[in-house]
Amino acid sequence: MFLSDAPPGASFRVIRVLLGKEVGKRLADMGFTEGAEGAVIRSGFMRGPLQVRIRGYDVLIRRCEAAGVEVEPIGDWSAAEDAHRLFAGFGPFGRRVGGPHGRRRRWEHGGRRHPETFCEDDEGEKSK
Amino acid sequence: MKQNIRVALAGNPNSGKTTLFNALTGSHHKVGNYPGVTVEKKEGSRLYKETTFHFVDLPGIYSLTAYSIDEVVARDFLLHERPDVVVDVMDSTNLERHLYLCLQFQELGIPVVGALNMTDEAEEKGIKINKAFLEKVLGIPMVQTVGPRGKGMEELLELILHVYQHQDLPKKYIVYGSEIEQRLEPLQHLIESDATFAKTYPSRWLAVKLLEKDSRAFEVVKEHPKAQEILSFLQESVVWLEKHYGKDLEIVISEQRYGYIHGAIKEAVAIQKKNDFSLTEAIDRIVMHPLLSLPIFVGVLWAIFQLTFTLGEYPMAWLETFFTWLSEVVHGALPNGLLQSLVVDGIIGGVGGVLSFVPLIVILFFFLSLLEDIGYMSRAAFATDKFLHFFGLHGQSIFPMMLGFGCSVPAIMAARTLKSPRDRILTVLVIPFISCGAKLPVHVLLAAAFFPENPAAMVMLVYAIGVVLSLVAAWVLNHTVLKGDPTPFVMELPPYRLPTLRGILWHVWDKTWQYAKKAGTVILAASILIWALLKFPSYEMSPMEQEHLQADYLSLHAEASEEELAAYISAREAEAALEHSFAGRFGKFIEPVFRPLGFDWKIAVSMVTGFAAKEVVVSTLGILYGVGEEATEESEGLRQALQQDPAWNPLVAFVLMLFVLVIPPCFAAQATIQAELGWKWWAFSVVSLLLFGWLLGFAVYQGGLLLGLGI
Repeated sequence: MFLSDAPPGASFRVIRVLLGKEVGKRLADMGFTEGAEGAVIRSGFMRGPLQVRIRGYDVLIRRCEAAGVEVEPIGDWSAAEDAHRLFAGFGPFGRRVGGPHGRRRRWEHGGRRHPETFCEDDEGEKSK
Repeated sequence: MKQNIRVALAGNPNSGKTTLFNALTGSHHKVGNYPGVTVEKKEGSRLYKETTFHFVDLPGIYSLTAYSIDEVVARDFLLHERPDVVVDVMDSTNLERHLYLCLQFQELGIPVVGALNMTDEAEEKGIKINKAFLEKVLGIPMVQTVGPRGKGMEELLELILHVYQHQDLPKKYIVYGSEIEQRLEPLQHLIESDATFAKTYPSRWLAVKLLEKDSRAFEVVKEHPKAQEILSFLQESVVWLEKHYGKDLEIVISEQRYGYIHGAIKEAVAIQKKNDFSLTEAIDRIVMHPLLSLPIFVGVLWAIFQLTFTLGEYPMAWLETFFTWLSEVVHGALPNGLLQSLVVDGIIGGVGGVLSFVPLIVILFFFLSLLEDIGYMSRAAFATDKFLHFFGLHGQSIFPMMLGFGCSVPAIMAARTLKSPRDRILTVLVIPFISCGAKLPVHVLLAAAFFPENPAAMVMLVYAIGVVLSLVAAWVLNHTVLKGDPTPFVMELPPYRLPTLRGILWHVWDKTWQYAKKAGTVILAASILIWALLKFPSYEMSPMEQEHLQADYLSLHAEASEEELAAYISAREAEAALEHSFAGRFGKFIEPVFRPLGFDWKIAVSMVTGFAAKEVVVSTLGILYGVGEEATEESEGLRQALQQDPAWNPLVAFVLMLFVLVIPPCFAAQATIQAELGWKWWAFSVVSLLLFGWLLGFAVYQGGLLLGLGI
């Protein structure tokens, strides 16, 4: 799973950073290294940037970059997501929701894609 | 014993480095730039125990890679200037990540002193740091400080002195694990095989950087006499190590560093109470709410504008009164003639017009600096990134663009905070579309004269068009000239901090000074030039023409008094002189270019002067319509004169507003673009804005005519 899939409130442990070159190094410098534990605090409007707490501080990270961080969930993500949807109620605006199982479907499709293409695809326009 | 110690003050952003710098050096600052780049360099000194400490404030960085211009600058400074001691300022509440940078300084081989800053906050949060243990484990002497209260400054100076005098003690470095170390050692030996080379570059640091595949390190090592040998050994090592670890080596090295730090922290730092309520979190729940963040941002922006214009009105009026008074005094003090005209019309009129915007800009910058120092700007980046990213801009472009409403000069300079050159160029190129304070009087004058039902809405419309155009321009540039990978958006979100008045005033002063400095130089020169173009070649009406005019006027206004007659004659004379001047001739010459936009030669002249500075458009129109040079956007006379001239109608006025909005910014802003981006982008900006301005004006005017407007 990838950091971009984590719903607000979800905790995670970093497995590795898949993005190469400078961005990957940057993320590692900022503390995204194997075994580091963190939590997603919130997400911006319309799948905007994520606020992630890691190593005792907060980072803003665009989903595009978050998709390059492979993580394993700590605890139950779906519970976090349900709680979030219940209280923050922004689900209908995000792309992720497409019916009751939209979230899971997204993981299956989006999760296996190579992160770099994920990034471009997320923009919708540069994929061609 | 007298001695000098050169100290570099380094650290992460948001570590309180600048406050510490101020506390150390008092008010003796020297602000300049690092050679070749537009990164600000602050220097200051302090005398302590007969020793002069020279401090250089390095830019705030997260790591010593070549990721951002700030990092390159800090790195080059440390490598080439070789300060005697590096003081790394760290946030005690967040040691884990701040030590990450500290260890990299240690690797550089320059003596490091750690300043554990913000100890008061750490205490409040129940964080206990075993300093002695940390010093022993990491081999870095440390001191606890509180920047804003100046606590721990003497101890810090004492420690710097101590470290300076005991440089020859054995140094300690982070150990990367046996597999990496086994390859670091021979690499170090190879690098050290050339004595002069080893002197410039600390061998261990360079070896680590090579394993991190640092592009700059590669370039450096190419100069080494044994470059071939080094690179082939490196190649072999990287392949073996990546196979061994199963991931990129640069990531492994980061992990090793964090692992090392994590081990040290575990033993040295104890968090006694878990603090579960934080004010920052409470505020962010609203300010960064997915649905509310954008409306809140827009609301904040709107509130700032309201406040700026409401509060700014008074000091602006005072300044205008002052300059009117000044020009009257000078008018009286100097004999009639060219000198008087130059000083009163050229210099006071031109520079005064610019300076009367200073209050507006000061107030706007005050609020924006307040937001910046509180920590709101990264929240604004969070709120707007998705939106701006769509147009190819970066969330961090928002601050420079907001400054653009005040003055393009500091706005363009603020774009320096953007990390990638592409983002910086893009942001600078679209800033001119944001309607700056100097364009406001033009909009106000034309809106009041031709859209009397609702002038405020008209002005707002032009501002909105400016914002939309800047976004569209960004989108277009992003898909044509500035194609490229989207720049990553990974930034720290600092907790809210109570800003200090001193800090804000410093920012305001700094930005306003940039504006005023340009007003004093570029705009002064432009004002004199424009004055000369309007004045020469000199022209005097022949007595015959005067009589002719007199007769004309009397036939229309039989009751006219002597004074009215004289005023009429001198106004006509000024108009004729203007037509006769270089500027007037040029306006006539260039009129055909502007005809398709509905502009006559008078508007053409005002546009030519407006090319230099938008403020002078109104005063040029004032001269051209013979209502005198002191015309302001409020003056009734100019408004009426424009309304009565058949060359004008609401459509022309609207096209002119758009044209003023889009044409290249004033000389001062152009000079700033040139300084920040170089001649190539300056030329691109000026030419494309001119072309686009003309095309836009042409399309709107012709379109309007087709729709039957403005006849």
